[in-house]
Amino acid sequence: MAVDDAKREAKKRKQPVVEDSSSETQDAVGTLEMLTDDEDGEDAASDDGEVDEFPEIDTTSDTENDGSDEFDEEEEEGEEEEDEEEEDEEEEDEEEDEEDPGAESDDSLHVFPKAKIITSDITSQPKRVYPEIEPNYDSDSSTEDTPNRVGDVPMHWYDDLPHVGYDINGKKVLRPARGDELDKFLATIEDPNAWTSAFDKTAQMDRPLSMEELDIIRRLYNNEVPDANYDPYEPMTEWFTGKGKEEIMPLSSAPEPKRRWVPSKWEKQKVMKIVRAIRQGRIIGAKPKATSKLPVYSIWSEPSSSHPPPLPAPKPRLPTNAESYNPPEEYLPTEEERKEWEAKDVEDRERDFLPQKYPSLRLVPAYDRFIKERFSRQLDLYLAPRIQRAKLNIDPSTLIPKLPSPNSLKPFPNYRSLKFSHPKGRARCISVSLDGAWVISGDEDGVVSLWEVNVGREVKRWKFESKIGSLEWCPRTDVSFFAVGIDEAVHFLIPPNLPGPVFTLTQSILAPATLPPAPPTPSLVKWITSPSATWSIDTPILTLALPPSSGMPTQVTWHRRGDYMTSVSTGGQQSGVWIHQVSRRHSQAPFKKIRGTVQLVLFHPTKPNFFVATQQYVRIYNLSEQKLLKTLMPGIRWISSMDVHPSGDHLIVGGYDRKLCWFDLELSDKPYKVLRYHTRAIRSLHFHPSYPLFASCSDDGSIQIFHSRVYNDLMTDPLIVPLKILRGHEVKDGLGVLQVRWCHRQPWLVSGGADGNVSVWCS
Amino acid sequence: MGRLRQKGKAGAAKAYVTRTAAIKKLQCSLADFRRLCILKGIFPREPRSRKRANKGSSAPTSFYYAKDIAYLAHEPVLKKLREHKTFAKKISRALGRGEWSSAKSLEDNKPVYRLDHIIKERYPTFIDAVRDIDDALCMVFLFASLPSNSRLPTELVENCSRLAAEWQLYVMHSHSLRKIFLSIKGVYYQAEIMDQTVTWLVPYQFTQNIPADVDVRVMLTFLELYQTLLGFVLFKLYTDVGLIYPPPLDVNKYEGGAGVGAFTLKNLSHQASISIPKLKVVEVDGRKITGKDVRQMIKSIGTTAADVDMDSAIENTIEVDEEFEAHVSTSNPEPSPSLPTLKALSILPQSLSTALFASYTFFLSRETSRPIFEFIVRCFGGRIGWPASSGTGSPFDESDDSITHVIIDRPLVERNENAEEKERRSRRKYVQPQWVVDCINAGKILFEELYTQGKTLPPHLSPFGEYEGAYDPTAGPVGGQESLHSSESDSSDDEVENISTEETITVDDPTALRAAELAAEVAGMDYGTFEKRVEKSNKRTSKGANGDDIEEAEKDMNKMMMSNKQRKLYEKMKFSQKKRDTERVTLETRKKDIQKQKKRESRS
Repeated sequence: MAVDDAKREAKKRKQPVVEDSSSETQDAVGTLEMLTDDEDGEDAASDDGEVDEFPEIDTTSDTENDGSDEFDEEEEEGEEEEDEEEEDEEEEDEEEDEEDPGAESDDSLHVFPKAKIITSDITSQPKRVYPEIEPNYDSDSSTEDTPNRVGDVPMHWYDDLPHVGYDINGKKVLRPARGDELDKFLATIEDPNAWTSAFDKTAQMDRPLSMEELDIIRRLYNNEVPDANYDPYEPMTEWFTGKGKEEIMPLSSAPEPKRRWVPSKWEKQKVMKIVRAIRQGRIIGAKPKATSKLPVYSIWSEPSSSHPPPLPAPKPRLPTNAESYNPPEEYLPTEEERKEWEAKDVEDRERDFLPQKYPSLRLVPAYDRFIKERFSRQLDLYLAPRIQRAKLNIDPSTLIPKLPSPNSLKPFPNYRSLKFSHPKGRARCISVSLDGAWVISGDEDGVVSLWEVNVGREVKRWKFESKIGSLEWCPRTDVSFFAVGIDEAVHFLIPPNLPGPVFTLTQSILAPATLPPAPPTPSLVKWITSPSATWSIDTPILTLALPPSSGMPTQVTWHRRGDYMTSVSTGGQQSGVWIHQVSRRHSQAPFKKIRGTVQLVLFHPTKPNFFVATQQYVRIYNLSEQKLLKTLMPGIRWISSMDVHPSGDHLIVGGYDRKLCWFDLELSDKPYKVLRYHTRAIRSLHFHPSYPLFASCSDDGSIQIFHSRVYNDLMTDPLIVPLKILRGHEVKDGLGVLQVRWCHRQPWLVSGGADGNVSVWCS
Repeated sequence: MGRLRQKGKAGAAKAYVTRTAAIKKLQCSLADFRRLCILKGIFPREPRSRKRANKGSSAPTSFYYAKDIAYLAHEPVLKKLREHKTFAKKISRALGRGEWSSAKSLEDNKPVYRLDHIIKERYPTFIDAVRDIDDALCMVFLFASLPSNSRLPTELVENCSRLAAEWQLYVMHSHSLRKIFLSIKGVYYQAEIMDQTVTWLVPYQFTQNIPADVDVRVMLTFLELYQTLLGFVLFKLYTDVGLIYPPPLDVNKYEGGAGVGAFTLKNLSHQASISIPKLKVVEVDGRKITGKDVRQMIKSIGTTAADVDMDSAIENTIEVDEEFEAHVSTSNPEPSPSLPTLKALSILPQSLSTALFASYTFFLSRETSRPIFEFIVRCFGGRIGWPASSGTGSPFDESDDSITHVIIDRPLVERNENAEEKERRSRRKYVQPQWVVDCINAGKILFEELYTQGKTLPPHLSPFGEYEGAYDPTAGPVGGQESLHSSESDSSDDEVENISTEETITVDDPTALRAAELAAEVAGMDYGTFEKRVEKSNKRTSKGANGDDIEEAEKDMNKMMMSNKQRKLYEKMKFSQKKRDTERVTLETRKKDIQKQKKRESRS
């Protein structure tokens, strides 16, 4: 309905040809301006809002209102028509003879304005008269009459002014009053034309859209050409072709050239060249499409290159009985095995399948991991590094070295003959007298006991205040005494019940009547002899007071002659190595400065050499020449014990990291053999003075006896045979056997343990 | 002072390259590199020290020999792959622009790489190729059984099945199949070809689906290589025994599901009358080679005549002569008949077992797998027929009188048979499929009684054997005497065990001995056996106390003197030995348990 109305109205609008200054055309121009100019954001927004509202209001508006609107419109139209008719009549009145504009304008849907030929009143000559230009949207806008003559300037320049521009006379055009949002809304409801009005920017007010503009909008909505006058299906006008327009006469009078009808010589030459090339086989035509299958031929008939063939990939393992479809029943996994297999990761599984049994071949299903296994085989082939391994096909027992049987190497201690106990404290240190009959043992309670090896009867007991650090018999046969290291002092004690001459000689050595002359440089060590009147067998006859804060002497060793003695104190500030000479009653520190903390020292049994073990190295010094001979590198983290073979050419070093190193001093700085058999730290080592035996003891509570034969010729390697593991000491607080010492002349071993027992092991 | 050595200029740093570096050097994509590695058989290496090979970094990378990669850089296939890359670009552009004709011409001139030279390089001699054919056969047999889809074109599957059939034909023709194993994964076949054992696995006839976590591109690349390899190997095998390769295919039979039977083996001598184009090709080939040879021969004669004293020339001629002979021996069709005769000679001693089924005629029941048993039976000289439901091409039908064995895998069902069927049943032997395979593995015709229809089959064992010292299921009961004892004193096993525990006490305690004696009497054991047992246990304990323990202790102590390396090796060996022993012992005990249980069941 509405559309039809609009169409009708549009047609009616076409009718007035002459009039041009009607308000509607002005409106149209205003809206056009509004549509093209987008500078003012606010205005544009409001425009949009109104355009958007257009269909909304249309749909929501009441039918009554609609009806009334239409009625109003019709009324208006009626009025307009009346006006137009009146005007027409006037025109007719004016120019009756000239034209019939109404009849003409009815079909004025032409692109080009049609001229009319009339006879002029003045000249009485026919003249062409064009219709008046309709000030439509496609007409020239410069001729329009708008009250606001500011031109094409951004309207926001007038935003804070009371006017919006100037009219043709230079008077201000005042800004029309604009209500607030509520007024706007009310206006949209009250004004029936509000839904077809839009904001005019130059006038700064809402103007209703003309019917043409509404028509344009409608057309745009319908995806039609916006111009109502445009006819897309116009018949084609043939300007140059077609009947009667043919060019009959030639344009040029030149004769037809020869080349138009004679075959080209050059072309022939070119073609002949190609033909010749094809004949000679220089150009080969496109091969027939290569077949997808490549031909096979006897590839191995040609001799192969001299390259060695690459190693073939290892073949997969051949299937075993377990893979059979019908294996013996014992191959079938139990429930636990099945669960374990399923719980394992695919990579960790020993077999990639579970054995299964089927009563007949027809029941065997497809193997679901077939492709996966093929694929993993291929991954192995091209992604896995390959290493060629020589397969050892030997009996593992041949790897164990063949050694003489221990039975053939007797005697060696193999059972515990007796046990002597220190009830309080660990038996820290022991020493066996040179004749092999007496043992002194010291514990951490400060008790030193002297007892017989054969029966274990205690003969004498000394009690000191603090724990015993070390004990050692003097290795002289004509005298009999021993040194005891207790905190920052070394005491010399004489055992009781000595035969007369021995006792007097001992006394004269340790407490001579006339003291030897004092050394030129006074030593830090004080030699204190208790006066003979007050001395008894219970007290030390001689005491070496080591310099204060030097720590407890943990080791006391004698030179084989029994004149020199060294003491090693640990825990003090300074290096605690002292060499004491009993005959001259003089002490000296052999090293001014030494790298590392000294753990142990030893005298060489035959040469004037001196072994010093620090935490990781063993250094050998020549004492007479006062120079370093050799540094041995056992590779032990922390050396705990060391002993030198009676021949003086071999050294064993034990460490807290369970290693035992055997050094051949003639051979190398590196160990000849490294043994690791104890499960805990090695505590002590000792070579037997006369038998080819040595023993080691450890915190695991065991004592290991070795046969160690050393040959005189340099070619034969020393023979080391493990003989016996002696167990019997208890492990207490992580400590096992603390010291082992051999009895001279007998293959007997004395060992002191952390459990306070001192055991004698006999053969 | 020696020359200063710069780091990374020699040794492992130079000899190895990482994969990334290799790809960068070859200027190809990772996929192309993979393809090249697969085709060329290049695999990563494990350097002695990963740090030294990788500029001090110990990141997990794979290393390749730098020389391998340098060889790869000159590989014609790599060039073709690069060409293919540009081709792909061109064709995608042409397709994008809608230039169909140029796209078509591009497609026609698509670069195609050949693998002949790679085959020749990887397998310089034919024996090498035969030795390495296992994986190729497995793959081809697998892909022959796969359904074709968009990723697996039909031609590929067809080609695989053709190659598989040709291989089977050759094995049947040469009677070279040796062992068969029916496993849960498929059927393992082992053949002996050119003195090489070739083992391949064929899946059971079910539709396999490629799982999602399998990279099909890798498999297809391998398959590409394997197809080419098999083609050349089969050509050589066929021509060496005087057969035409490829064997002509009867399309009608093939479509009827005849399988292997669709191919016909033709001798080269009959070739002229059968296939003229084939003959032509061969002739042309032959002429070409002979012509070249003749030219070489003439040249060599010329050189020898010209200057005899030049050593190099002589060497050359000798080489050429050798080459010439080699050519003649392989390419000339005339000596080829002599080859099979030689082969036949070498096979002769085994001919008994290869013609195992020569005197038998088999008929397959419809539920047995025809491809498997047709292949097996024909390999061993038997005749075989099958019902029409298993495919066409059966040489005879069920009513044939010559049938001696029917391979049947059905349970025995009582049903009414007419007289003819009954008569047939009495004449033929109805065996289960395992009988055929077990006969072949045993190398003789086994007694059919154990394998007749409906019987519980004896276990099927692997013919490939196990490692040395492994559990042998065929061996009799392990502790033969003990089991005898237990069977003798069938009162109860538990009591005997009780007595034996008491025996250990008897050694040193006379009262305990007395008690044990009484217990034995109660158990029903006679005095003689009891005394024997006491003696035995005495011996055992005394030996254990004195001899063995000391020996063991000495050995343990001697282990101290082993070097670190030796000790580790020793421990490793002992570990594996122990593992194998436990495996064997568990199997043995399980077998004993099963036997006991069975006995108990049979008794009750």
